[in-house]
Amino acid sequence: MMKTFKQLALASTMLAFVGTAAIADEIKVGSVAGVTGPIAELVVPIVAGRQMAADQINAAGGLLNGDTMTMVLADSQCDPKAGVDAGTKVVNVEQVVAIVGASCSGATNGMVQSVTIPAGVVALSDSATAPSITDLDDNDLVFRVAASDAYQGAAIAQLAWDQGYRTLAMTYANDDYNAGLAGVFEAAFKGLGGTITSNQMHEPNKASYRSELSTLSGNGAEGLAIFAYYGGSGIAIMRNALEAGLFEKFLAADGMFDQSVIDQIGADVLRDNIMITQAASDYDDPSYVAFAGAFEATGHSPQAPYAAHGYDAAFLIALAIEKAGSTDRAAISAALREVAGPPGVVIRPGEWAKAKAAIAAGQDVNYEGAVGNNDFDGNGDVTGLFSVNVVGADGKWTGNLIR
Amino acid sequence: MDQLYGYSLYGLSLLTFGGIYAMLALGLNIQLGFTGLFNAGIAGFFVVGAYVSAILSTAPSERHIGGFDWPIPFSLVAAMVVSALIGWAVARICMRLRADYLAIATLGIAEILRLIFKNETDLTNGARGVSYIPKPYESLAQPWNHVMMTVVVLAIVAVLYFMLERARKSPWGRVMAAIRENEDSARAAGKNVDRLRVQAFVVGSAMMGLGGGMMAHHLKFIDPNAADPTTATFLVFVMLIVGGSGNNKGAIVGALLMWTIWSATEIFTSMLPGDLAIRSAYIRVFLIGLMLQIMLQKFPQGLFPEKRLETGSSG
Repeated sequence: MMKTFKQLALASTMLAFVGTAAIADEIKVGSVAGVTGPIAELVVPIVAGRQMAADQINAAGGLLNGDTMTMVLADSQCDPKAGVDAGTKVVNVEQVVAIVGASCSGATNGMVQSVTIPAGVVALSDSATAPSITDLDDNDLVFRVAASDAYQGAAIAQLAWDQGYRTLAMTYANDDYNAGLAGVFEAAFKGLGGTITSNQMHEPNKASYRSELSTLSGNGAEGLAIFAYYGGSGIAIMRNALEAGLFEKFLAADGMFDQSVIDQIGADVLRDNIMITQAASDYDDPSYVAFAGAFEATGHSPQAPYAAHGYDAAFLIALAIEKAGSTDRAAISAALREVAGPPGVVIRPGEWAKAKAAIAAGQDVNYEGAVGNNDFDGNGDVTGLFSVNVVGADGKWTGNLIR
Repeated sequence: MDQLYGYSLYGLSLLTFGGIYAMLALGLNIQLGFTGLFNAGIAGFFVVGAYVSAILSTAPSERHIGGFDWPIPFSLVAAMVVSALIGWAVARICMRLRADYLAIATLGIAEILRLIFKNETDLTNGARGVSYIPKPYESLAQPWNHVMMTVVVLAIVAVLYFMLERARKSPWGRVMAAIRENEDSARAAGKNVDRLRVQAFVVGSAMMGLGGGMMAHHLKFIDPNAADPTTATFLVFVMLIVGGSGNNKGAIVGALLMWTIWSATEIFTSMLPGDLAIRSAYIRVFLIGLMLQIMLQKFPQGLFPEKRLETGSSG
């Protein structure tokens, strides 16, 4: 009995030793994302964006005293159960100092309310866009670099109005993201004086959407606004609509932004007939150019939805750790606002060495990220930038910032 | 020391999730284990319980109906009552169906229930879910809030276990086993088989509603994705079958064990570099399926085989 106890004591001492040794040279940041589940295909470039930020930082001197920034991946499955479980794991088992994520708004809502706010850990989401996250009672612990749907919905309505659309039909996939966006769009378009002839909700992943489309068509609708993920239902809806000759003009939001839309429907059919808004960047902005060049080299498209957001979120967390000068969770939370907004030395993507030097010299820094200036408002939200994308002559998406 | 403290908190989380799943598995055990009712619609009763308890206990909100600010114990009782009522209605309709037909019908009903909650946006805020659900003892300082939540969950599981063990050994439980083994002979012995099957279904549904309610309070947020059939129906089946169908202890151990495997495997897969970490996330789903295969092939009785009751005479 005594012997087992001694072994146990020995084992736990060793465990504690291994634990402290690991903490001394490695600073862990949680990377919570819906790796499996309904947006699995969107998550890969987002996670790659987060990872690229960590890789650049580690190559340029690392955090604090040369410590390595490690992104610890956890799967939130787009499900609040899994989001809470993933948050618990990274906060308690991995002892992360802050979290980037979670992906979906539902998983994020569960994770922050049940885990990270009580534990006092900062969660900076790169793709949760639900308006309900804005007014969480979060002790300044929940931030996001992705703009709330309230902004994109209004942007796409304005775009449609400016392009001369007055009468539209609309359909949306019934998930947290698309339903919210569609709601804002409908209100904003009507507010501008437009008419929505028909508004149909649809379930994703059906084989055919002919019945929904036949309800939607007619009544003089000039085009169809689709709020869906391209893989879930967006492409199928467009194909069905074109086959039956019901609609030729389409408007969509960033869940539809993917090259496969053009590849599967055909560039000639879509040219001049589709506009997609996307949470985007000013593509001429030096911050975006710096990010895009590096990200392309990793083999991903810099325009992949929310990939640049993932990069910015991870970079901001790193800046906050550096600014806080410690891995103390509360200090990081306090520092995040300072590094994101003015005043201070402007830091752009990839400029880790410059940021490190400025912070070491006691200067303020102001991160101007790949997706915009990332200045948080009182709720930890950003207004964000949006682009409109059309099919270019080369059969690829061509984007322009909405100004 | 921080690390050990972290492991302890994670252990509490495993017990809380596992305990909530144990409520679902115990509910399924009454239906499938005791009485042989193949209910493949656990997610439906789960989502009913979760939403009823969530909406009754949250503070008023303009995003969904109510917020009625009820104390949690009352909202949980209401969740059980509503789930039981729905279970009763389903049972009245489906009880004449046998085995796999019942499974198909309940699977469909679960999906209908989930889609109702997803689509009745005015009542439930639809796909955007219900926020600010209160959690028992959440105002206590860490770690006591986690400790008390775990204690509450395990206490409920203990009470359920005690009651179900009593039920199993009672004449009621014996009749249930008789119905499962040979319905005709139970009928010939003068038992009202249909009525008893409905009873088992209703009691099981109520416990699933309770599990759903507890899950909503634990997550503090509920949306229709939480009733995804993979983790709200399929996983519960695996838990019961691994633990031992027909054995209450098996249902509890199976739930705790399978949840631990489901959750903790990620700690290892997330250590893998880059793309491998993303791909290996799917291995967890595969592992659960593999586990089910092995258990069904090699140990169809589960870890804790059903204990046959002594009949008193060996005739």
